[in-house]
Amino acid sequence: MIQKKICLLGASSVGKTSLVKQFVEGTFNEKYLTSIGVKVDKKRVSVEKQEVQLMLWDIEGYDRYNVFQGKYLRGASAYIIVVDQTRNASLLEGFEIHSLARKISNVPAILAVNKSDLQANCLFDDEQKNQCIALFDSQFNTSARTGNNVEQMFQAIAELTLKDK
Amino acid sequence: MPKNTSVTETKSQQELEQLRLILLGKNHHLITDTINEQSREIVSKVLTEALHARQTKDGSVHKILLPIIENSIENSVTHHSDRLISSLYPLMGSLVRKSVSAFLSEFIERTNKLIEHSFTIKGLKWRFKAWQAGVSFTQYVVSQTYNFRVEHVLLIHQKTGVLLKSVNLEQQSKSDVELISSMLTAINDFVGDSFEISKDGLKEQLQIVSTDNFNLLIKTGPNAILVAAVTGTPPQQVSEILQITLEDVHRLYMDEFAQFNGDNAPFENSENQLRDCLLTEEKTSKLSLNKKPWFAWLLITIVTVFLGVKVQNWYRLEELNKLIMIIDQQPGIVVQNIKVNTEKDITLDVMRDPDAIRIEEWFKAHQLPFKNLKLKERMYRSLSPEILVKRVDKIINRYPNLSQQWQGDRLSLSGNIDIVKLQQLTAQLADAGISSSQFDIKNLTLNNSDKFAQSTTINQQVFKDIVGKISTIQLDFEIGNNQITPMMQIELQTLAGQFSYLIKLAEQLNINVGLLLMGSSDNSGNRDANNKLSLMRAESTATALIQLGLNRAQMFVTGLGQIDIKDVKQTSRKVMFNVIYINNVPKN
Repeated sequence: MIQKKICLLGASSVGKTSLVKQFVEGTFNEKYLTSIGVKVDKKRVSVEKQEVQLMLWDIEGYDRYNVFQGKYLRGASAYIIVVDQTRNASLLEGFEIHSLARKISNVPAILAVNKSDLQANCLFDDEQKNQCIALFDSQFNTSARTGNNVEQMFQAIAELTLKDK
Repeated sequence: MPKNTSVTETKSQQELEQLRLILLGKNHHLITDTINEQSREIVSKVLTEALHARQTKDGSVHKILLPIIENSIENSVTHHSDRLISSLYPLMGSLVRKSVSAFLSEFIERTNKLIEHSFTIKGLKWRFKAWQAGVSFTQYVVSQTYNFRVEHVLLIHQKTGVLLKSVNLEQQSKSDVELISSMLTAINDFVGDSFEISKDGLKEQLQIVSTDNFNLLIKTGPNAILVAAVTGTPPQQVSEILQITLEDVHRLYMDEFAQFNGDNAPFENSENQLRDCLLTEEKTSKLSLNKKPWFAWLLITIVTVFLGVKVQNWYRLEELNKLIMIIDQQPGIVVQNIKVNTEKDITLDVMRDPDAIRIEEWFKAHQLPFKNLKLKERMYRSLSPEILVKRVDKIINRYPNLSQQWQGDRLSLSGNIDIVKLQQLTAQLADAGISSSQFDIKNLTLNNSDKFAQSTTINQQVFKDIVGKISTIQLDFEIGNNQITPMMQIELQTLAGQFSYLIKLAEQLNINVGLLLMGSSDNSGNRDANNKLSLMRAESTATALIQLGLNRAQMFVTGLGQIDIKDVKQTSRKVMFNVIYINNVPKN
């Protein structure tokens, strides 16, 4: 069976863990592995009748206290940058993480604009937004609370990993 | 994708054709035809070597051959199963034996361990300790039984943390090995990046992770990580084998690692290499050799003692049974049933003649416990000689002027007795089971001292009384039968006694007597046959009376045939008796 390592990156509290929890039934562990800053879950998806097991590496949020955990990107088949549409800072941090990640890996990347169920608070105009989105292979407005677009996003990333081979 | 491939292939063919034209000209088919003609010979020369070389190079030959062989075998099983059976038959016996033997060995081993771990003091102690330590009993047993045991072996892709293959010692594993693989890789990455890179440029790697219950031995290679979960303390040897295995895997799967895209199917065959790492070492057998199997000995002793007591008890009761059974040899006692459950629970069911020894007396005489005996006694009349002697003794003792003597089973009476008493005595003896044929009264002196006996009138009256009694006797036969039954025998004994006495009386009264025996039959069947049957019944009766001591010359035997009297003709299957007597007229 094909297994793909997918990393979830993003600023603190943007909802990375909630996205994984929403996607995976029964999480392996609710807490981050203390001190090493990563939690792994798995979920099978089907792409054109082919089973793919996504190994989801939920990497601890990047903020002033935590450095970018680039080491966990190693061997990833794709990664997801998660940002919180209600916090502009998280958008900026997300793009910063993306640029750092690109130095290490050029695997497909998806932008997940999370908390779509809440009111957006975005400083960017549409043109700026489109420029940002163009940096990614795909973009989804997701809601870990309602489940909106979560399945679709993981399905899309599975397809991307297979296409990339 | 397949479309693209076919387009590419067509293009390649066209290019090849152009190249042929350039190199060989328009008549290139002359060369290819020549090669084709000799192709079989050319290929056959190098076929074996070519197969070997290709298999050595990339192992692809067996992949091609495998489906062909599988299809051939399937085809053979379907269409030529008899040939396949003939080929496999010689192997089957030994295969089955080997399989059964392996199963039995494993079963016995498991049973032994189960008994040892479940019922011994050690087993109970281990259960308590396992409970104390909060681990399962099985885990505790493993930790106590084995120096070490490799429970799981995982082969993990070094870069992605994807599990390539895992093998377990037990059939099933509760752990989610895929998540463990990823997490271990994460931890390894964390360790590698968290410490300074060594002088030789290599990152720090996890070598061993220890928990309360097991150790994880980790060997890291350029493409893969090999992890062994070991219970107990693994020796250096395990580490070495892991290293060798990891190197083997790298060597064998070099191409698969290079082309790895997340699919672990190409690593399926690495199971053989990984299984080599499932090592186990039991704790030294020295201890187990020296240890005394106290529990087993205790168990054997208890069972032996228990069986010994049971056997002894059974033997004692059996002896008691035999001892009580001796009572059956006592004259006048017949044991119907005897049941000795315990010494205090004995049931005895007997038939006893009133003249036989009493059961209680016999028990006392043999020092057997009568107190707890449940006795079921029924009376019967015995005809055994000892009892007859006792019975006759009792009768004769009532006649002080008589004495008795036994000659074999024949009783001889002597002394004085008057006629009336003799009649009484004869009746008593007959009642006691001594027929007149069994006793001899020729030594008896009949005296007439009795004033009543002196009277001829009295004697005549007694004579007539006996004649009357004899004429009341009738024997009833079965249909078409002339057999003398035991019941008839008793009546004939009485009759014989009475007639013997009548003869004595007749002598005194100067009367000639004869006994008439008249057989009869019912009216069913042929009259002639009935005549014969009635005579045969009378003859059988006469023969029985002769055996009882009567004289044939004093008997008249006749068959009456059917008795055509309305009320009796259907049941008149009889022999009747009468006495003919004629006074002797003194000759002038």
